[in-house]
Amino acid sequence: MLLTAVWVYWPMLRTLQLSFYEWNLLPTRDPVWLGLSNYAQLLRQPEVSRAVLNSALYIVGLVPFTICIPVVLALALGRVRAPAERVYRALMFLPVLMAPVVSAIVWRWIMNPNAGILNALLQSVGIGPVDWFRTPNVALWAITVITGWKLLGFSTLIVWAGLTNINREYLEAAVIDGATSWQRLRFVIAPLLSPTLVFMLLLTVLLSGQLTFPIINALTQGGPRDTTTNIYYLLWQFGFESFNVGLSSAAGVLFFGGFLILAVGLMRLVDRLSFHDA
Amino acid sequence: MLVAVCLATVLPFWWMLSTSLKSANVVFDLSPLPTAPTFENYVQMWRAIPMASMLVNTFLNAGLLMVGQVIVATMAAYAFARWRFRGDNLLLVLFVGTWLVPFQVTMLPNYVLLSRLGWLDTLAALVVPHLGSAFAVIMLRQFMKSFPLELVEAARLDGAGSWAILWRMMVPNLRAPLATLAILSFISTWNEYFWPLLVTSRPDRTVVQVGLQMFLSSDGEQWGPLMAAATVATVPVLLVYVLFQRQVVEAFVRSGLR
Repeated sequence: MLLTAVWVYWPMLRTLQLSFYEWNLLPTRDPVWLGLSNYAQLLRQPEVSRAVLNSALYIVGLVPFTICIPVVLALALGRVRAPAERVYRALMFLPVLMAPVVSAIVWRWIMNPNAGILNALLQSVGIGPVDWFRTPNVALWAITVITGWKLLGFSTLIVWAGLTNINREYLEAAVIDGATSWQRLRFVIAPLLSPTLVFMLLLTVLLSGQLTFPIINALTQGGPRDTTTNIYYLLWQFGFESFNVGLSSAAGVLFFGGFLILAVGLMRLVDRLSFHDA
Repeated sequence: MLVAVCLATVLPFWWMLSTSLKSANVVFDLSPLPTAPTFENYVQMWRAIPMASMLVNTFLNAGLLMVGQVIVATMAAYAFARWRFRGDNLLLVLFVGTWLVPFQVTMLPNYVLLSRLGWLDTLAALVVPHLGSAFAVIMLRQFMKSFPLELVEAARLDGAGSWAILWRMMVPNLRAPLATLAILSFISTWNEYFWPLLVTSRPDRTVVQVGLQMFLSSDGEQWGPLMAAATVATVPVLLVYVLFQRQVVEAFVRSGLR
């Protein structure tokens, strides 16, 4: 019995210890005690507000890829018979598996201003060559699209799984009552799909920062002129490029707190917004 | 329309592959098919970066973590699921919290710690800090909690200790979630870039993802060899996908729906 106690506690302690690898915020906080001035300095810097704005823009930009388009695709998938359905699903899922660095590289090649295939295609319909990553307002959307491309398969799959969980009988009853496709969509499918959709929303909000980070790092490094940084990237810059550990830790704590509040708030919202079966 | 989306999805993969097969003077040509496919990019890439060691490292990293995470998580989840002790809820919350912490916040302290331990540039540095996967523990805990109590009671009456209950009874029944975890763990570790970047600096000790980035930043982007490297980096995951397609997809979906 004692042995089993040890063996059960050991992995727990292990994982706790490993989680302490993650929690170890304290040692790096200022050998020189600057107190709260790091925080003050942080809030004063313009990059911070830009990063926050960008992060919000990324979230908004990713929503079509995690909710809107997947819903359309999932509905379309529902109408296709297997084995075609399985093939489509399999193909759609591929980008999810691609390593972020790899996708950044490949897309960089595709979006290359002079030699990339994307610009070539656009030029053939008369749109001038676009320097995707160096034009200030365009870069952010380019990154959004790339991240969205990666997410599309995953989101579609989850939405599709949610759709299949909708009890057929409700839909059949609706048909018997004479509901049109549109009415069925609005009154039966949408409410029953809402837990899934809210979940996707949650995922998008919380993870968009993390998901876009490798792409930003590989492709634009936050530029041009700070238009693509997001808060994660800012943390990275503080920590790595300026080696200002105190500032980076302060920023980290701030953002973590912010995220925590956001996460808790969203969780409460989830319960309010979703409509559960029975 | 589904066809269009699938095309858009697959195109970058195809483009990567076809570029890697084009020789240097044809690389900038925009034809979808390599007219005279050649392996010279692969050769060039192989000579330029120690791809072989990187592949081995990546495999070891992903494989060890896959096994390690599953084992550690199983035991930890069991403890959380079946044991009542003082502060178990607090521990759980703390644990879940680690999941939310952005990587950028913890990377520096961890780096310092590893440096002091002398573990930089070793496999240990890559694997050990990630053995405790909060996600895995949470997921397994859910499954273990819903395990029928009567069976556990019966086993206890037969005199089985906790250890036996875990390994002989629960684990065989948890094969599906365990497989899910193993697959997810392998794939995400394979694709992991920043942590290896941080803790390894020697090219022959690092993983393929970092190797790719090295290639990218070296002067004069050589798209051919770069695409070759990218293809090589992606092939193993694609192989896993092709072989275990159904399980992989189910793994991701189940993790999403929790």
